[in-house]
Amino acid sequence: MCENKNIYLPYLATVEEVIDETPDVRTLRLVFQDEQLRENFSFRAGQFAEYSAFGAGESTFCIASSPTRKGYIECCFRAVGRVTESLRRLEVGDTMGVRGPYGNSFPIEQFFGRNLLFITGGIALPPLRTLIWNCLDLRDKFGDITIVYGARTEADLVYKRELREWEERSDVKLVKTVDPGGNGPEWDGKVGFVPTVLDELAPSAENTIALVCGPPIMIKFTLPVLEKLGFDDEAIYTTLENRMKCGLGKCGRCNVGNIYVCKDGPVFTARQVKAMPLEY
Amino acid sequence: MQKQISEANFRLLLDSLLLKGQRVVGPRRSGSTVLYEPLSSASDLVVDELPRRSVKEAFFPVCEDLLEYRKEGQQVQLTDITPDRFPETVLIGVRPCDAAAIPVLDAVFSWDYKDQFFLERRSKTTIIGLACTTSDDACFCTAVGLSPNDPKGADLMLTPLQGGGFVAASQSKKGEAFLDVWKDRFSEPDGTATVPLTQPEPNRLDLKKIKAWLDEHFEDPVWDGIATRCVGCGACAFVCPACHCFDIVDEGSEKTGKRRKFWDACGFSKFTNHASGHNPRDLQPKRYRNRIMHKFKYYNDKFSQTLCTGCGRCIRVCPVGIDIAGVLEEIQEKG
Repeated sequence: MCENKNIYLPYLATVEEVIDETPDVRTLRLVFQDEQLRENFSFRAGQFAEYSAFGAGESTFCIASSPTRKGYIECCFRAVGRVTESLRRLEVGDTMGVRGPYGNSFPIEQFFGRNLLFITGGIALPPLRTLIWNCLDLRDKFGDITIVYGARTEADLVYKRELREWEERSDVKLVKTVDPGGNGPEWDGKVGFVPTVLDELAPSAENTIALVCGPPIMIKFTLPVLEKLGFDDEAIYTTLENRMKCGLGKCGRCNVGNIYVCKDGPVFTARQVKAMPLEY
Repeated sequence: MQKQISEANFRLLLDSLLLKGQRVVGPRRSGSTVLYEPLSSASDLVVDELPRRSVKEAFFPVCEDLLEYRKEGQQVQLTDITPDRFPETVLIGVRPCDAAAIPVLDAVFSWDYKDQFFLERRSKTTIIGLACTTSDDACFCTAVGLSPNDPKGADLMLTPLQGGGFVAASQSKKGEAFLDVWKDRFSEPDGTATVPLTQPEPNRLDLKKIKAWLDEHFEDPVWDGIATRCVGCGACAFVCPACHCFDIVDEGSEKTGKRRKFWDACGFSKFTNHASGHNPRDLQPKRYRNRIMHKFKYYNDKFSQTLCTGCGRCIRVCPVGIDIAGVLEEIQEKG
């Protein structure tokens, strides 16, 4: 990868595709403008990047596409502020900036031979979706793959086309749910909060790795369910998303106690998270 | 290596440096205050007053450009700001509490990713420290393990002599090189006594004991007690020689502008605000706790250094009178 002396200088990337996931959540597929970088850019599932809309600034998101899919990367974000609103105004062919990949990653090699249980809610699917596709693209390396995904309403589910694809595949089990009242007449999934649905599903903890990502409230109520099911804290992984600016361990805002999410994370085991002060 | 320089030769040396076109930065009067700024003559140098802001901005400016962008149609042209352009600088009259913070900052700007904006300036700067012969009631360098003539961070350390002039002790290769280049201005020490150094408040803090308490007391009523009056103005962080939190912001129009790095402060209410609105440090006591924890625990955990040099500036500028040395004493008593 081309190394810049200026660590704050982003790579330029072209928006190749724009996909509206929900009315305010958008996926951008990006292609690096530098041909060599396009070939050589590599990252691991779980790493994040700083994405910039020039004139507005930078925002931090995970790389939502799988490292097994070469030639492009994807990010997925909700337009809620100055930068994300500007990113949302970008059209196919427009140029944006990308710095990264940063942070640690899921230790996927340690998951070989294990069953995988993904538990996620709302816009927290993208940080796990990179790993889901990474694993599906290496399908024979894993045991059962189960995905429990919930959102407030049907409309808030992201990657709807991929949810259909996972539902149709026989080698992955998707359990989708919406909060009570969030279901329309056509809804064919479950109704209930993610922790409740997980409790009912009662997946076996045996030889299984749980990968959890969601809003703090979902994590808070999901961990006790996993514990009840017999999951060890070392077998539960999550990815934290504190506010960041530099992504390089310098600007001083993503720390949870003495842990720098940008350098020590964003991927942590439940054991690590439980040892942290409540600052995430 | 130890040398001596007379008052007259010291002035001549400064003027020679300036005549040569050398950039010399030191404490000088700037409006109504003393700041570390480029000198234009030896007489600009103020040696008896602690500059209002710390020396960190010589390496880490309040605001600096990181890149320029220009949009043309769907394309964007980026202009890199190459750190190579930073000028060679002699930083003179640096107070021990300021100089000592520079190696502390080295740790964060050089671990893992290298911030060349900081490091280039650092490598191109010769730091000439100056021992303190005066102090005020906010100074507490002695309480955090430093002293009025601590040479930490200095390449060359000056101590004032009785009757004028200085003893100059080199602390690094850069300092030795400086003495060598300007050897005609220096003489061998003749045993003249130095001016008695100031002895700031001897409220010796036991940093180990304080850290041990911090290790165990993330949640503690003490934080509410100390920080409810903090107004979150961030002044303490801005005048601090060791605080280094920053923000990255684009300034300009949609078409053209600059990306800049700005000082920021963990005391600001939106500092850790998530896009969702969730804020892990939503209340001022949590933010003040982070300030103390970062300085006296986290930085130590990570880099084995304390992020405070006892300069006392935060005490002098706090609009609600929060006294960090007092806070540390309170914590120490609990430990």
